Amino acid sequence: MNNNLLSLFQLCDSNFPIGSFSHSFGLESYIQEDKVHNQETFLGWLKVYLHEQLVYSDGLASRLVYEALVDNNIQEIWRLDRLLTVQNLPRETREGTQMIGDRMLKLTETLYGLPILSQYREEVKSKNAFGHPAIVFSMVAHGLHVSKQDTILYYLYSAISSQVQNAVRAIPLGQTAGQTITHQSIPELTQAVETIMALSYDDFGMVSPGIELSQMKHERVHLRIFMS
Amino acid sequence: MTDWTGSLSLDLEDRLGKTVAKRVYFQGAFKVMRPIYADDSGQVCYYLLNPGGGYLDGDRYKMEISADEGSKVTLTTQSATKVYKTPTSYAYQEAEINLKKGSYLEYLPDPLIAYENAHYKQRNIVHMERGATFLYTDILTPGWSPSGEKFSYDTIQLVTEIYWDGKLGVFDHIKLVPKQQNITGLGFMEGYTHLGSMIAVSDQMDNVLLDALYEMIQAEEADFSFGISNLAIPGFSLRIQANATQTIERILNQCHTIISEKWNNRPPSSLRKY
Repeated sequence: MNNNLLSLFQLCDSNFPIGSFSHSFGLESYIQEDKVHNQETFLGWLKVYLHEQLVYSDGLASRLVYEALVDNNIQEIWRLDRLLTVQNLPRETREGTQMIGDRMLKLTETLYGLPILSQYREEVKSKNAFGHPAIVFSMVAHGLHVSKQDTILYYLYSAISSQVQNAVRAIPLGQTAGQTITHQSIPELTQAVETIMALSYDDFGMVSPGIELSQMKHERVHLRIFMS
Repeated sequence: MTDWTGSLSLDLEDRLGKTVAKRVYFQGAFKVMRPIYADDSGQVCYYLLNPGGGYLDGDRYKMEISADEGSKVTLTTQSATKVYKTPTSYAYQEAEINLKKGSYLEYLPDPLIAYENAHYKQRNIVHMERGATFLYTDILTPGWSPSGEKFSYDTIQLVTEIYWDGKLGVFDHIKLVPKQQNITGLGFMEGYTHLGSMIAVSDQMDNVLLDALYEMIQAEEADFSFGISNLAIPGFSLRIQANATQTIERILNQCHTIISEKWNNRPPSSLRKY
């Protein structure tokens, strides 16, 4: 383990204060409909969320942004920022992601001081970009010389572990159950990275209808502990 | 590739309050019927038809539509789009729509029916100036199969890109591959068989309309599940899962009525099919 990797781990911590704990990305709709109510049903949701949404959106974007950084093709990153934002049709999920991205960008700019982060912030401030956590994460990881595969893997890990923490509070599940699920998701994450490495540009933004519906439905959930 | 099975292009303009075609061209297995004016609003309706009766292996269709300032048009199909088995190459349809400010275009095709081993891909690319209005619906239906299996098609993939004021504002990508996905399970079709969508983009969009549509759909008595949400640009997307085409059609028709009364100050003209 080197210091760079350790430095990136700080970003993966579900306690990293960027508001991830306020967003369930549709999980709360399933909990309210009692479709997700225990360890087993939550793991079922988590797998679909990972393999059928994150892989084609955040995951693929994270890879493409990394490749654009290697090629120094900055225009491509702004294009991906827009694509990633507008493919997210449910408003709460889209705006929630943007809020997380914005906070992550501010905090990482202070912590890591990479020029690309300052440039991204300028683009967001002048409303040429939206701000997305997967893009910020890839910028930091690339700046820390972490490999492309590891960048995607750690990003997905951070997204999944936030949702496990959310499920522990919302379903609720025991802390041990939470850790068991995180542990069970490790081979899933490795598989997701393999999928992402083999995807083509044409696969971008594919969404499974049920996941998307649950995210749209959340707008009308009255008693809620999450913003999305 | 330019070898289209069928292609058509239609350029519309407003002439003294009546929308007319300034250019119509079609070739191969894709046609438009003569224009229909259902009321005195000047809005024109074109029925698109596929004389072959269905999409077969490797078929490729393309349409290009443009609407100048002030023109108002409904595009629909004469009947459902049927996609039959495609053993060697998928069937493909591409639509490119260009809308000038102050134009109104609604593209309301009949359901898509995908039969056993059918692979269909569709791409809609819409370029809108600010002040233009675009309304789109689709309904995905599994076709009858000898085995009685509900999801016997191979793949349905629909991509819709809407550029608003020169920038990408909506990107919608649905891909259903029943053999590779847990299609009936959580996160996918969740026990339903049919999927309906509506996307509307207009400067006139507001939350009052969003709430009115939500309340109306919520009050529908049928077995279905739905979600409706504002887009990143002025407009909304709606998704409906149900077990019957009629349920989705009824909801989409009612949404169409509410939108038309609000944005055009008149009910939509009925789309008579024969």
